[in-house]
Amino acid sequence: MSHQKVWTRVALILVVLVASVAAYVANGVSRVKTDVTGETTPGVKDYLKNGIRLGLDLKGGIHLVLQVQTEDAFKIEADEAIAHLNEQNREQTLKLGAVTRTGPATFTAVVNADTDTDKLQDAVKRFLPAWQYSRQGTTWAFALSAPARKNIGEEAVQQAVETIRNRIDQFGVSEPVIAREGENRIVVQLPGVDDPRRVKDIIKSTAFLELKLVVAGPSSDRAALLAPTGGQVPPDAEIVEGNSTDQDPTSPKVFYLLQKVAAVTGRDIKNARPSQDQNNRPAVSFSLKAEGATKFDKVTGANIGKQLAIVLDNRIQSAPRIDGRISDSGIITGSFTPERANDLALILRSGALPAGLVYLEERTVGPSLGLDSIKKGVTAALLGALLVFVTMVVYYRRSGFNAVLALILNAIILLGVLAQFGATLTLPGIAGFILTIGMAVDSNVLIFERIREELREGKTPKTAIDNGFSKAFLTIVDTHVTTVVSALFLFQFGTGPVKGFAVTLIVGLAASMFTAVYVSKTIFMLEYGSRERIESVSI
Amino acid sequence: MELFRDTHIDFLRVKWICIGISWALIVAGFISIAAHGGLRFGIDFSGGTQIVLKFANRPDPGKIESILKPLNLGLEGVQRYDTPEKNEVLIKVKQQAREGRDITQEVFSALSAAMGGPAAGGKIDVNVKGHDTFATSLAAVDPDNVNGRLGTAAAQHYASIGDAIVAYRSQIGLFRSAADIDRIPNVSPEAKNWLKQNSVIGPFTVLSADNVGPQVGRDLRTKALWAVLLSTGAMLVYIWFRFDVKFGVGAIVAIIHDTLITIGLLSLFNREITLVVVAALLTLVGYSMNDTVVVYDRIRENMKNNRRDPLPKIINDSINQTLSRTVMSSGLTFLVVVALFFLGGEVLNTFALTLVIGIIVGTYSSIYVAAPIVVIWNEIQGRRRPAAAVAKAPAPAAKGAGAPRAAGNRKSGKR
Repeated sequence: MSHQKVWTRVALILVVLVASVAAYVANGVSRVKTDVTGETTPGVKDYLKNGIRLGLDLKGGIHLVLQVQTEDAFKIEADEAIAHLNEQNREQTLKLGAVTRTGPATFTAVVNADTDTDKLQDAVKRFLPAWQYSRQGTTWAFALSAPARKNIGEEAVQQAVETIRNRIDQFGVSEPVIAREGENRIVVQLPGVDDPRRVKDIIKSTAFLELKLVVAGPSSDRAALLAPTGGQVPPDAEIVEGNSTDQDPTSPKVFYLLQKVAAVTGRDIKNARPSQDQNNRPAVSFSLKAEGATKFDKVTGANIGKQLAIVLDNRIQSAPRIDGRISDSGIITGSFTPERANDLALILRSGALPAGLVYLEERTVGPSLGLDSIKKGVTAALLGALLVFVTMVVYYRRSGFNAVLALILNAIILLGVLAQFGATLTLPGIAGFILTIGMAVDSNVLIFERIREELREGKTPKTAIDNGFSKAFLTIVDTHVTTVVSALFLFQFGTGPVKGFAVTLIVGLAASMFTAVYVSKTIFMLEYGSRERIESVSI
Repeated sequence: MELFRDTHIDFLRVKWICIGISWALIVAGFISIAAHGGLRFGIDFSGGTQIVLKFANRPDPGKIESILKPLNLGLEGVQRYDTPEKNEVLIKVKQQAREGRDITQEVFSALSAAMGGPAAGGKIDVNVKGHDTFATSLAAVDPDNVNGRLGTAAAQHYASIGDAIVAYRSQIGLFRSAADIDRIPNVSPEAKNWLKQNSVIGPFTVLSADNVGPQVGRDLRTKALWAVLLSTGAMLVYIWFRFDVKFGVGAIVAIIHDTLITIGLLSLFNREITLVVVAALLTLVGYSMNDTVVVYDRIRENMKNNRRDPLPKIINDSINQTLSRTVMSSGLTFLVVVALFFLGGEVLNTFALTLVIGIIVGTYSSIYVAAPIVVIWNEIQGRRRPAAAVAKAPAPAAKGAGAPRAAGNRKSGKR
C-alpha cells in the first residue's frame, strides 16, 4: 500500500462526493426556483428538501391516464365529408339522394337515377381521398381508409396532448408530466395540485364554442318551435337546448332553432379572459383572429336586431340580441361563478379538444396524506439507519465506523445521481433504496467477516485485511451483478413503479460496489497503511 | 464482539424436515388463498375505486354505507382507515364494467348532499378546494383592493393567500367552523370575510382517491407479471453461467419458495396485492438472491480448495462459515424494515410487512432450501449419469455405491 496511491484514491472519492452533493444541491436550487411564487426567499433547507423530485405517492398530486376517443375525430371527418357532398348537391353538380352517417367512420350516399356517377367518382377522388367506397345497388357505402384512420387518430392524440399541455400550463403547475403512452393514451401527472375535480374538468372539457344565428325561439316545447316550418326541422337548421334564464342553470329548459352553420367557432378565438357583464356578474370576453373577425363582422352587420346564440358544447349559454356590427370581440355571459368564468376563459384560450377523453386511471393523493406518509417514512427510515449504524459500530468497533462512513457516502452518491438524472422518488423507489442499503451493509459485513476469518487462521493483520478484501470482492461482484442483471430486465419490461424500483436499484448497486470495495478499502489504507507493521485491527 | 464463531452445525441433517416445513407453509398459504376466495388484488391490478376521506367529526361507516348503497356503485365496503382519532374512512368500490364512470364524483356528491356539504349555489367548500381555487376566486373579486383587477400583482397576492389557507388547513386537519377561518394567519380580514360569506364548511375532505379502469388494471397485471418472470429467468441464466446448473436451480427454487410463502402469508393476514407489494416482493427476491449467492460463492470456493470432501460436507462448512455474516446482514436489514413496519404509517404498512416476512423467509431459504437443493440435485444427477453410462456400455461390475457419487462430485468440483 504505497502512500501516493492512497491519496489518489482519496482524491477520487472526494471528487465523487463533491460531484454528488453538487448535483443534488444544483437540482434543488433549480427546482425551488421554478416552484417558489411567493415573496419568501428560500433557504438552504428548501434546496436540500427539493434536491430530488418526489413522486405523487409521496408528495401528493394527481396522476391521470386518459384515453383519446379517436372515433370522435373520425366522426368529425365523416361529417365534413358529408357536408362537402351536400354542398355539391346543393350546387346541383352531383344530384345525390340522402347522405347519412352510419357509424363513426362510415356513411352512405343514395344515388338517384339522375346522379352522374362518373362525376361522383371524380369528386370522391379529388375531394375525399381518404374515403373508400363500395356500391351496393343504389347505395354507396363510404368508409374511412385504414391509413387515414391511423393518421387522423395519431393527429387527434397529438393535438390532445398539445391542448392539455396548453391548459395545464395556464394552470401554473410546476413540473407537470404530459406524455403520450401507447397508441391512444395520455399520462398526465400534476404534482402538488390539490383540487383534482377542477383540474379534471379543465382537462376534459371539450369546450367547443360556436356562435350561431337564432332562426326561431326560445320556446318551451319543440312542437311549438317547429310550427312555423310545418313541424319539420329545416335542412340548414337545428334545435339546441338552453335555459330560460341565463343566470340560473336550474331554470326551465327552452329550445331554440339555430342556423346549422356557425358564424364563428372556438377555432377563430385569439384570446379569452374572465371579465364582468353590465351587471357586474362574472363573464368571459373573447377576441377573434383576423379571419374570424371579418366573418363575424359580416354576419353581425347583416343581422342587426336578430339574436345570436352562444353555444358551448352543444348547449346554449345565452342568446343576446345583436345591437350593432361587432367585429373582433364578444362576451359570453351565463350562470358563472368567478372560478368557472376563469376556467372557461382558460379552456377557450387553449383551444378545443379534437376528440373526447375518457379517464382510464385516476389517482389523487391529497397533500396532507402525502406529507404525512413522507414524515412517517423518513422518521422510520432514519431510525432504522441509526439502529444499523449503532449495531455496526458495536459489533465491528472501529471497522464498523468505517462501514458507516461508506454507507453514508453510498446514500449521498445515490441521491446525487438520481437528482442528476431527474429521477422521481416513489414508494417502490424507496424499496429499491432499502435493498441497496441492505446490500451495501452486507458487502461490508462480508469483508469484515472474511478479515476475522483470516485473523482466526493466524494471518497478520495486514494480510488479513488484504485477503479479506480480495476474497470478499468476488462475492460482492457476484451478488451485485446478479441483482443488476435482474433489475435491468425489470427496467426494460416493467411499467411505472416497477421501473422506478429498477432504476434506484441499478444506480444504488453501482454506488454500493464503489463504496463497499473502493471506499472502505481506502479508509482501511488511511488507518493502517502508513505503518509497516500493524499490531491489531479493530474489528 | 463476535457471535457464531467457528460453528459446526449440521444444517443438511435436517434438510428433509425443512423441506417438509416449507411445503407445509406453502400449502397453508394456498389453503388461505383458497379460503379467501383467491388472492386479494388491490385496485392496481383488479381495477376499481378506493377513496380515503377525512371527516371533521368521528364518522360512522355504517351510515356512510347506507348513503352510498342506493347509488348502485358496487360498493365493497366502508372501513376505518389509520388510527381512530384521525377520523379517516376508506371506501372501496368494485371495478366498473365500462370505462368512464366517475365514481369518485358520485361518492363525493352523494355524501356531500347527505351530510350538508355545499349545494350547487357556487359556494366554495373550504375543506375540499385547493389553493388555486381560493386564489382565482379571491383574485376575481379582489377584496383587498390590490391595484387593479387580475394584474400580476393581484394574482401573486391572492396566490399566497391561497397557499396560506391550504397550509393552515393541513395544519389543523379540517376547518370546523367560521372561527377557524378567522384564525388563518397572513390573510386580511376583508379576504376572510369574503371567504366566510361565499364558502361552506364541508363535513369531509378527500385524502386520496384512486380509480383504475378495467383496461389499465389488466395491463398493469400482465406487465408486472412479465417483468418479474423475465427478470427471474435472467437471474437463473446468470447463476447457471457463473456457477453451475444445479446452483441456478437451487436459487430459483429458493426464490419461488420465498415468493410463494410470502404471498401465502400476506393472504393469511388478509393484505391486498398492490403494485407496492410487487415492489416489496421484488426487493425480497433481490435480497434472498443476494443471500443465496453469498453461500454459493463460498461453496464454490471450498470446492476448489477441498476437492476430496463430499459435497454435503462442503455445503455444511460453507453455510457455517458464512453463518455469522448471514445473521448479521439479515439482522441489520430486519431492523430497518421492522422500524418501517411499526413507524412507517398506514401507506407503508403492507409494504413493510411484506419485507419483514420476506427477510425471515429469505434468510431461512438460503440456508435451508437453496443449499440442500444443490445436494439433492447433485444426488439425482449422480445417480442418473452412471446409470446412463451402464446402459451404453455394460461396464465392469459396479464397484459399490460410492463410485457414482464420487464421479458426480468430481464433475461439480470442476469450476
